[in-house]
Amino acid sequence: MAAPDHPGPHPAFVLHRRAYSNTSLLLECLTAANGRFPVIARGVRARSPGGAGLLQPFVPLLIGWSGRGEVKTLTSFEINGAAIDLEGRALYCGFYVNEVLMRLLERHDPHEALFGLYRETLAGLAADNEIERILRRFERLLLTELGYGLLLERDAESGAHIDPDRRYHYELERGPLPVRAASADTVKGSTLLALAQDRRLDGEERKEARRLMRRVLAHYLGDRPLKSRELFGSACG
Amino acid sequence: MSQKPLLSQLIEALCCLPGVGPKSARRMAFHVLERDRSGGRHLAEVLAEAVEKIGHCGRCRTLSESGICRQCANPNRDDAQLCVVETPAEMLAIEQAIDYRGRYFVLGGRLSPLDGIGPKEIGLDLLEQRLAEGTVQEIILATNPTVEGEATAHYIGEMAKARGIRATRIAHGVPLGGELEYVDGGTLSHAFTGRQEL
Repeated sequence: MAAPDHPGPHPAFVLHRRAYSNTSLLLECLTAANGRFPVIARGVRARSPGGAGLLQPFVPLLIGWSGRGEVKTLTSFEINGAAIDLEGRALYCGFYVNEVLMRLLERHDPHEALFGLYRETLAGLAADNEIERILRRFERLLLTELGYGLLLERDAESGAHIDPDRRYHYELERGPLPVRAASADTVKGSTLLALAQDRRLDGEERKEARRLMRRVLAHYLGDRPLKSRELFGSACG
Repeated sequence: MSQKPLLSQLIEALCCLPGVGPKSARRMAFHVLERDRSGGRHLAEVLAEAVEKIGHCGRCRTLSESGICRQCANPNRDDAQLCVVETPAEMLAIEQAIDYRGRYFVLGGRLSPLDGIGPKEIGLDLLEQRLAEGTVQEIILATNPTVEGEATAHYIGEMAKARGIRATRIAHGVPLGGELEYVDGGTLSHAFTGRQEL
């Protein structure tokens, strides 16, 4: 076969999987060198030990693949270190992160930094209870990596440093503009700075940061809302 | 536009079955037409009737001919236990393998946001009503040990906890007759943390 091979092993994560024909799986993989792309894992569902069980989201893998078309064929896979154990809310967050990546990241668009960010985010979710800070960091760095980086430390109009005690209106694709009256969709300067510096967010800042990131992401995601938000119910907004 | 010959229509129609590709479909079609026409007629009648009449049980969402399925209608079963499974096939597997006398609830899927499946799509509003009735004392979460199955179990577990209902998860670990050496790390770690006093 003349198809270019990538026998690997390449570090990878499965973002999404679904059954394909009787015994195969169609996976959406994230790798450092090749970005996100679809791979078919043939016959893995019939092979019970060490088969489909490993090819799940949040399991660090080493994979090899071949093929020249859009959809590649998995040629080898093994686990790469211990599985990342996400439970409960952290698991919902994992789905959220995967959904955002599936929606925002183009196929076959390599972003080396993103793979590391993804791995850090999962490890953070598994270990830490500061889930919101980890998610905000992921969202901010993802946007930066995709070229939609946010302006968080300077006023978009005058270029002045953000004053932590003032309130700002964040104009999409532009940046924060100072406002006089505090209304629902304005954010405090300290929230912007906390986001920029990846600082711990307190109660009010957490809410504002979530609202701001949500509005920014919605702008790039389009009309279809993220399904994984439904899992959080009213608790997480 | 002329219609396709009946024979090719039949072959194409058979391809809708799982595990049946064009080649097996051709074999089936020729078998029915050349050797077993009465069997084919019977299949067609039963299939048409089944597709027409089998719907979902109003209480547990499994496949059922009547509005309420046999397990739900049986007065001898225990209302205090409710076993949640993903598919009707899994309900049947439990029913055949173990002596479980409680009730069932069939989700018809699992939470999988990336496939557009959220709490509403798997009938959790119906389950919520069921829990609100107050008869259920233990909810047994028998969803599959995949990440989606775990998320589903956790979600339902939280629903149960909010109502003060005991939620239990089926155990997972080394299969009977299995060898530790060949069990994957994730399973082994689950088996280890879930170990029991002898």
